[in-house]
Amino acid sequence: MEYVATIGIEIHCELKTNTKMFSGAPCSFGRKANTCTNEIDLGEPGTMPCVNMEAVAKAIEACTALHLTIDPLVKFDRKNYYYSDLPKGFQITQQFHPIGRDGYIMIHTSEGEKKIRINRIHMEEDTAKQFHLTSKTLLDYNRAGTPLIEIVSEPDMKNGEEAQAYVEALRQTLLYLGVSDVKMEEGSMRCDVNISIAPVGSNTLGTKNEIKNINSISNVGKAIEYEIKRQKEILEEGGVIHQETRRFDDKTGETILMRRKEGNVDYKFFPEPNIFPIRLDENWIKDIQANMKELPEERKERYAKEYGLSDHDINILIGNKEMSEFFEEVMKSTKDAKNVCNWLLSDVSGWLNKHGETITTTKLEPQNLAKLIAMIDDGKISTKQAKEIVDDLMEGKDPEVVVKEKGLEQVSDTGLIESLVQKVLDENPQAIEDFKAGKDRAVGFLVGQVMKASKGQANPGMVNEILRNAIKERI
Amino acid sequence: MIQEMAKDVVNAKERCMDAYEKAVTLQEKLNDAITLIDPSEQLETLPEGGLFHGVPIALKDNVNTKGILTTAGSRILSNYVPVYDAEIVTKLKKEGAVIIAKASMDELAMGGTNLTCFTGPSLNPWDTNRMTGGSSGGSAAMVASGVVPMAIGSDTGDSIRKPASFCGIVGVKPTYGRISRYGIIPYASSLDHVGYFTRSIEDACISLQALAGRDDRDMTSSFKEVPDYLGLLNSDMNGKKIAIFGNVQDALTNPETKEMFAKLMHALEERGAKVDVFYFSEELMKAMLPTYYLIANCEATSNHSNLDGIRFGVREKGDSMEEIMINSRTKGFGPLIRKRFVIGSYGLFEENQDKLFRKAQKVRRLIVNELNKCLGEYDCLIAPASNDIAPLLNDTSRDQLSDGYLIVENHMVIGNFSGYPSMTVPMGFEEGCPIGVNLTCKAFDEVTMFNIGKAIEEITGYKDLTAEVK
Amino acid sequence: MSEEKNKEYFKRLANQLMFDLNDEEAEDIVKEFETLEKQLKLLDEVNTEGVEPMVYPFEDETTFLRKDEVNHVISQEDALANVKDKIEGHFILPKVVK
Repeated sequence: MEYVATIGIEIHCELKTNTKMFSGAPCSFGRKANTCTNEIDLGEPGTMPCVNMEAVAKAIEACTALHLTIDPLVKFDRKNYYYSDLPKGFQITQQFHPIGRDGYIMIHTSEGEKKIRINRIHMEEDTAKQFHLTSKTLLDYNRAGTPLIEIVSEPDMKNGEEAQAYVEALRQTLLYLGVSDVKMEEGSMRCDVNISIAPVGSNTLGTKNEIKNINSISNVGKAIEYEIKRQKEILEEGGVIHQETRRFDDKTGETILMRRKEGNVDYKFFPEPNIFPIRLDENWIKDIQANMKELPEERKERYAKEYGLSDHDINILIGNKEMSEFFEEVMKSTKDAKNVCNWLLSDVSGWLNKHGETITTTKLEPQNLAKLIAMIDDGKISTKQAKEIVDDLMEGKDPEVVVKEKGLEQVSDTGLIESLVQKVLDENPQAIEDFKAGKDRAVGFLVGQVMKASKGQANPGMVNEILRNAIKERI
Repeated sequence: MIQEMAKDVVNAKERCMDAYEKAVTLQEKLNDAITLIDPSEQLETLPEGGLFHGVPIALKDNVNTKGILTTAGSRILSNYVPVYDAEIVTKLKKEGAVIIAKASMDELAMGGTNLTCFTGPSLNPWDTNRMTGGSSGGSAAMVASGVVPMAIGSDTGDSIRKPASFCGIVGVKPTYGRISRYGIIPYASSLDHVGYFTRSIEDACISLQALAGRDDRDMTSSFKEVPDYLGLLNSDMNGKKIAIFGNVQDALTNPETKEMFAKLMHALEERGAKVDVFYFSEELMKAMLPTYYLIANCEATSNHSNLDGIRFGVREKGDSMEEIMINSRTKGFGPLIRKRFVIGSYGLFEENQDKLFRKAQKVRRLIVNELNKCLGEYDCLIAPASNDIAPLLNDTSRDQLSDGYLIVENHMVIGNFSGYPSMTVPMGFEEGCPIGVNLTCKAFDEVTMFNIGKAIEEITGYKDLTAEVK
Repeated sequence: MSEEKNKEYFKRLANQLMFDLNDEEAEDIVKEFETLEKQLKLLDEVNTEGVEPMVYPFEDETTFLRKDEVNHVISQEDALANVKDKIEGHFILPKVVK
């Protein structure tokens, strides 16, 4: 029996604002407990919410980038339930009037391009943080009230790869916009997956299971693939899928039952009486949209046009926003995009990984990388020699200085090479005979000898050319 | 009175200390305060000038006062000391007011008797066998007994305007959003109004001057400019069009009240006002109480979900989060409150909301539409604030939902449904106890409301009435 | 509204609201609920076809939004001022089980 999976994803993102969604206390990360709150975040009696303009602006940016239709009338609702991390006993959210509806994002998988539709984006507030000790739970309200946007997809995804691509594409878009740090490990982006499977050709959907606690993008795909397998096995044994909430255990790669869902919780949603509907100024919205930062798709197009790089290279470069920005810095001092890209993605990235650094912490200066590449292009040093001084470059040193210090300048003096070539040919008559006999690899051997004689500093391209001409003259 | 007091800078200290002493003395007889505050410290740091310079006032105990116990009349907050001042407290302090008491109130403002305060009932200064009415009963008693010339209350269904009637004082519920609600422990957010009691219309004008204005922390507060209420006060009734609330008038069963009211209307006519009768439909009148009951209880249930004992308030023991919440809320809320919450929650269930909460909200709109029709033609809608004087203490009928429509006792809620300004002023006396008349005017038309109130005050002569507490 | 509105029903409802009702209190609510149903009939008699619920007393749209600048923080001491027990600046609960 063949099954097809139907997957929908809900993503919560903390917005990078200075203050909370409904209060003027600062947003924080990693500060001492309960030092970034005020009476509003603590849900003290008599407090009232006050809507953060920048949170709305960032929500608008997200809606625009993801092609949602924006509702210029902002309305909030109460979601009522009791829990230790919910100070007011209700969350202020946008149940009935999300700020954005009906958008999409394009994803790229092994099967090509696919459009994943986005049902809604709405604004809400975050809960407090709980720390569980053995017999106690500690509460820190620093996070309480942090602005969130919730992005709800349509159930358009069919497998782990698509889901992972969706989350990654979304993450990149939001990162490029600068509206959120979108770090799953830090909790500024949280991902809940809803998944059901049904026999191919069936017009009804299977029972939905929710998977929570996925803490990295790579685990999105893993969790889904495990869950599909798990559900398939149950159905194939004639069992029944119950509506459950499960959590992903990244050590075992399995989803574990958290709780059965007995019917739906009634959150008694009703409009927030303390916030009148807010009419957003059309010009303000247009202004925000006109001043949005460059999106990944836009950058891709620009790179293709400006730098002529391959799709493959562009995708990798764009995949790391800071790396692509470093790339552009380097390109201010050179025109050799292909080589800059290659160097960044291989030697530089390799060095950074090995040394536990990132492109944002590196001492490498963009103009120094440009210099290095120019020196190679001009034949001043060989690629091989350039790779020898990567350590120095990554520590911030100027390649011209390093090359001088280490005496690595490539010899491109034709006269000098000619004399070396003649010497080597004189010393290796057998190789000349081999070449005459049709063994072309004799040339490689002879080039190697010239390089050796020059202590590796001769321009190999020139050596090859001069050598071939010299041999021809001797035959 | 307040104006003279504020100008009399030299006697500020004596005045406030005297008020405090009187409050302490009367507390034993009236039980109208939850916390009494020795004003010595405040007197040392009084700012210069101000509309309320050195004027002693009381605040209903749902008004957050930094560093001073604020209980909202409920056991669950009997240990709560706010770390912030309500906006009106900041404003009043700036004007030089001196707070000498946090006044008694019905628990969480949910009541009309002031019998449900966890510190016990507050008694009517005119007759201590009678109630003050609620929920702002303590504030009303403190003004009526002459302890303070102004006390803050709140009004969600008539919680200022009813006790004002029972205590023979002016009770003002201004337009919704006229006074900031930031820092006022809520009851039902779309019906709650901050208001106050005084013993004269002039004092009511000055009080609103000090209290009104935009507060960015309250997103429902109005940007409208605050007029010079006292400067614009004018009791000329020529051209004023007054609509008698016909349904209420017809439902009066107390002949003394009927007569008193008729006399007053006649006197207004003699001053040049045009007095007509306006009727709401029967269905709307009968629907007023259930409309209020549902909207108020549904919103209140949600509003008080923060009272769980975890971050503030009285926390009872428990082995789990649930146990702590359940124990704290069971012990902390009185039975009437818990009853209201259950009904409120029921009305908010998804499957019930259309028939209950949202239905009530629709009827609210129809009621307000009717009021708009009336105020489209008239300057105010007027009716006695109650059928009778304050009930006796052992009359518990007020807290039960009744089969009767109780039109006369519940009509003032239209001021909360609409958000329009509404005020009770003393009308007359029966059995030595006062009874008031209530008028409701157009949105932000407090000027007209005060003007008509002034005319009534001149007609009745009831200005600065103080009860001699026996 | 298919379930019987008896004492147990209201006790359960109360528990969902994080408090208890004793027998007497639950019985009281059963009675009050009967009265409520009569009152609700009065509501039903009002024709509200085509009428929108009135959520706010005033329905003018607002435009105000708060500037994203820190304007009010309270100290850790103030935040914890109304609880007796704290651990390293945190509020304490018995271990919360999800």
